[in-house]
Amino acid sequence: MPVNIIVCVKWVPNTSIVNVDPTTGTLIREGVPSIINPHDLNAVEFALGLREKYGGTITAVAMSPPAARSGLEFLVGMGVDRGVLITDRAFAAADTFATSYVLAKAIQRLFPADLIVFGQETIDSSTSHIGAQVSSWMGLPYIYYVTDAEVVDGDHRLRVKRSLEAEIDTYELPMPCSLVVMMKSNTPRPITLSKKLRAKLEAPIEVWTNDTLKLDTTVTGLRGSPTVVAKSVPTPSVPRKKQRFDGRKNAAEAANWLIDNLAKEGIM
Amino acid sequence: MSVTTQIPAKAPLLKKEECKGVMIFAECLDGSVNEVSLQLLTPGRKIAGKLGVETTMVVFAPQDSKLTEAPIFYGADRVILVDDPRLKTYYPNVYGDVLVQIVEREKPELLLIAGTLRGREMAPYVANTLETGITADCTGFEVDEVTKDVLQIRPPFGATQLAHIRTPKRRPQMATVRPNVFELPPRDETRKGQVKLESGLNIPQPTIELVSSQEVKKEEIAIEKARVLVSGGKGVGSREGLGLVEELASEFDGVVAGSRKAVDAGWITHERQVGQTGKTVKPTLYVAVGISGSAQHVFGIREAKVVAAINTDPEAPIFESADYGIVGDYREIVPAIIDRIKRSRH
Repeated sequence: MPVNIIVCVKWVPNTSIVNVDPTTGTLIREGVPSIINPHDLNAVEFALGLREKYGGTITAVAMSPPAARSGLEFLVGMGVDRGVLITDRAFAAADTFATSYVLAKAIQRLFPADLIVFGQETIDSSTSHIGAQVSSWMGLPYIYYVTDAEVVDGDHRLRVKRSLEAEIDTYELPMPCSLVVMMKSNTPRPITLSKKLRAKLEAPIEVWTNDTLKLDTTVTGLRGSPTVVAKSVPTPSVPRKKQRFDGRKNAAEAANWLIDNLAKEGIM
Repeated sequence: MSVTTQIPAKAPLLKKEECKGVMIFAECLDGSVNEVSLQLLTPGRKIAGKLGVETTMVVFAPQDSKLTEAPIFYGADRVILVDDPRLKTYYPNVYGDVLVQIVEREKPELLLIAGTLRGREMAPYVANTLETGITADCTGFEVDEVTKDVLQIRPPFGATQLAHIRTPKRRPQMATVRPNVFELPPRDETRKGQVKLESGLNIPQPTIELVSSQEVKKEEIAIEKARVLVSGGKGVGSREGLGLVEELASEFDGVVAGSRKAVDAGWITHERQVGQTGKTVKPTLYVAVGISGSAQHVFGIREAKVVAAINTDPEAPIFESADYGIVGDYREIVPAIIDRIKRSRH
């Protein structure tokens, strides 16, 4: 039985190359390229694995500025069937509540589907909210930290494995449902250059604005967000002794210096 | 199958002026309240004190268990107990729906949930069902003197700044709280508090079914509980390079951890990652080996008592966040430290 899957992804600044301004201590975001959130690639790989086993289609959905199109092209290059880019100023500056509402309405438009898949969190805000919030708007059962899934024979159900702090649990969920894929599981496949080029030329990517979704803009974007950033202050530094020993010439002396100091601290 | 999506209400579901008090959800595991939930009584009581309100802990547990005692001993004024066999197994939307009903009855102004894996899974569902905002993984709280709103503090990406998040109109204000950032309050077995047995709740039939649960045996102490942590970063160069880090950890009777770069390189598992995108740790001694000391990494060791660092680069930022820094190649320094510890033992 084919499984039709919707994968939600986010277009994020590549935080692994973001630098900190040494004088102000703030992040330098200018000129930093954006990428598909790396933890979402694990969710895409999870979806590709299910399609290989059972057939079906995979649609990737991103709510992002127009530049995210190249990210969706990348996912088509990885094997996703099509991309939907939701982009409108009316959706901008949303917190996770208002974001999840727009995503839920877009996903509803893409239904019928069997499964909605999310990455565990984003590298730029790490909330882990969206999967549960979208499931709440749509009234769908959901589970986080999923590593594996299989279709239960002859039944419109999935059997999934998920990992918690000290246990591995197996669940059965009726479809349609939502799964949040555990980060670092389902290592994403590499994408070949030829696929990348073809995706760039041929990728079936739709762009949806609020002309498509027709949402009440008082419940989207900044206006629809229950939370606001009141202020941002530099993280206070923890007072440390900052004592230093140059051990490049004599490692043994450096070791003695450290252990003697730790002994004074009452640690040894 | 078609689905419908709920339309958000224009007005807050719970009126701000009707909401009062601090509520904490207690995650229960293996017959006791998870310690990281009890840690939330530290910020919870402080906020309640400033607002002049009570702190209530919600516990899903059998009546005859001792689970209602711990919240009171650690500082809660009240416990709301839900005793129902249908809550024996945790399902995020079932637990969530029950907690939503308790919030609708009690109308707290603030709801805190420990940021465990289960907590991070359930809390956004609760917030969304109540149509209120939520802040993830908070590391601090402040009460706004004028509005009496609770500012939910968290580091956005980079950890160089702390964002103060407000929920100006909707209630309850909600946050998950980063484990181990707050100390467990002192235990006082003479404290008394009210225990209210909640009844008449609509406990939904789970649509999800837990088929089996397999315990994963941990050979070692988790990094968040370790007294000494020796942590490897990009500078150790390879999985093999981590061998010396492991050896040093064992000499200190400690546990091995790592930076994000060591985890991304696959030398160490994510559950041992220290830092903003990993865990907050509070060892007596933290030894950073070949870790440059990004703001995100340093954010995770704020609670460490003493920090030692070994790095070849005298300009590495980790030295600004260390008590004792050694400039040098870890391949020479670490064996020398191991040798010194061994000698002093004889």
